[in-house]
Amino acid sequence: MIRVDNLSKQFGGVRAIDNVSFVAQDQRVTALLGPNGAGKSTTLRVLAAVIRADSGTAEINGHEVHAAPDLVRASIGVMPHNSGVYARLSARENIRYFGRLQGLSGDALEERIERLMDQLEMRAFADRRTKGFSQGQKVKVALARALVHDPRHVLLDEPTNGLDVMATRALRDIVHGLRAAGCCVLFSSHIMQEVENLCDDVVIIAGGRVCYTGTLGNLRVVAGTADLEEAFMSLAGLTQVHP
Amino acid sequence: MSAFVTVLVKECIDNLRDRRTLVSTFALSLLGPIILVGLMSFILDRALGEQDDAIPFSLVGAANAPALTAWLREQNYAITDIELPDGTDPRTLVTSGANDVVLIIPANFAKRFRAGQMTTFTIVYDSSRMGSASRRASQLERALNSYARAIGVLRLQVRGIDPQLIQPILVHELDVASSAERALAILSMVPYFILLVAFMGGFYLAIDTTTGEREHGSLEPLLSQPVSRASLVLGKIAATCVFALASLLLLLAGFYVGLPWVPLERIGLSLDVSFGNFLMIFVLMIPLIWFAGALLTVVASFARTYKEAQTYLSFLIMVPTLPILFTQLMGIEASLWMMLVPSLGQSLLIQGFLTNEAVSGLDLWCSVLSTSLLAALLTRTAIWIYSREQILG
Repeated sequence: MIRVDNLSKQFGGVRAIDNVSFVAQDQRVTALLGPNGAGKSTTLRVLAAVIRADSGTAEINGHEVHAAPDLVRASIGVMPHNSGVYARLSARENIRYFGRLQGLSGDALEERIERLMDQLEMRAFADRRTKGFSQGQKVKVALARALVHDPRHVLLDEPTNGLDVMATRALRDIVHGLRAAGCCVLFSSHIMQEVENLCDDVVIIAGGRVCYTGTLGNLRVVAGTADLEEAFMSLAGLTQVHP
Repeated sequence: MSAFVTVLVKECIDNLRDRRTLVSTFALSLLGPIILVGLMSFILDRALGEQDDAIPFSLVGAANAPALTAWLREQNYAITDIELPDGTDPRTLVTSGANDVVLIIPANFAKRFRAGQMTTFTIVYDSSRMGSASRRASQLERALNSYARAIGVLRLQVRGIDPQLIQPILVHELDVASSAERALAILSMVPYFILLVAFMGGFYLAIDTTTGEREHGSLEPLLSQPVSRASLVLGKIAATCVFALASLLLLLAGFYVGLPWVPLERIGLSLDVSFGNFLMIFVLMIPLIWFAGALLTVVASFARTYKEAQTYLSFLIMVPTLPILFTQLMGIEASLWMMLVPSLGQSLLIQGFLTNEAVSGLDLWCSVLSTSLLAALLTRTAIWIYSREQILG
């Protein structure tokens, strides 16, 4: 479980996030939804312990992120928004590198990589260097890299960016597989339609503030519209609600 | 510790697959010895050749001046006797390509000589032609002038006149920049090349492992691994040092093989190019390579983009030359404090090793310890930079 309490962070006088609070449950997929610059990446970065919040707490599995950063880092899998794979290493080598950094080695690591190859259907390009990979292939490598140590918590920053329909569907299956395995999945997005098919719970964030937390179904009720895009727009304060 | 090794191995493999990194790492250390050794051998061969070999030219009318011809032969001139058919333009002797320097002694020389009259000799050559024709023509002219002057002096002395009367000024040229000196100047570039390679060898790795990592978006997932920042940074600096060390090994091997080919002993210079000496130089350079790796990493970490890092680091690799230039320009004598300055100490010590001077143990330890201390400080700084969240840019 991921619990965020009154988290605030400034960058040179600009408030990136302002008293952000939400909970992401195990065995559920939670979407962090908001327009560009809303503070989604900042929130995920605090959770991954790469930046420190000015105030508030972030807990993963009951551990305060900055009190036990290495413990937290060992229990989360992080995928940044531009995949960030090493172009001169093969898909397999990319995954192996992060597995070693997570403390895995030998047969245990190789078996885990083999399982991920099957799970994410990456056999066809496993031993090619990632330079020239399609966006979908890169995302798979980055995802496998994030999952190599079998984390209970998975943070995905805009995972569907640049993916075509097939790749998006493949990603959806993977995410639902993680949920079925009991993981807590938190991902960020700015596209409502994606969220609809992917997640159970929604956290809408705009201008650094949380505007809504709750289930997808409840969102329509609160916003008073069946159209999810309309609901998102009105709750994020981006447009006036239609009369 | 194992994370350190993981990062080190990954960065080495990753960069071994990059052609640009390989070229920039090994081009200088591969070509440096070839260029330096080749240049020195060429200059020395020419310089020594000038002294030994006879100077060739063609002579028309040798029979008109047998004494002069014999004297020229004694002066190490190689004379080819040729004929100038009546009525032909003497220029054609050279323009036809058959000869490049021709001296023409007129048939009436002996008669006019005896009568005490002046005779005009002609030297034909083509100054626009490549090669040594111009130089040989002026050498020949100088030789003839000194022969003429000697005869004139004798004639005056016979008549009881002091020869100094007709030569109020005697010019004596003293050219310090002999060819041998030029070869020595090139030799003094050997330590400079060794220093440069220490900085150049890790150039692209320092950028790729820091700015490159951030620019490709892989820094963030890397920093969210349960690994201490110290192991990450140490692994990256170590990879930079591994490449610099490999580059240095290649350069030293090149000099070890190449330098014995340069005929330095013929200009009275003894160079100690023993294996042990090169080993000492290598050991001496290890702290400097660590220093360079840490310095490059620190500076590259501040750059926002790959290009920016390249610009900073291009300036930075000139840094090792600055203390050397400074002391040379100021004409400061080597002293103990210089050993404390990274790159300056090493350059003086390498020069000492190569020219077989006694290198004091104190100097050696001062250089090694001071450079290591500064390298450790820079490494500490790099770890600190990576512990700040601003590193994500």
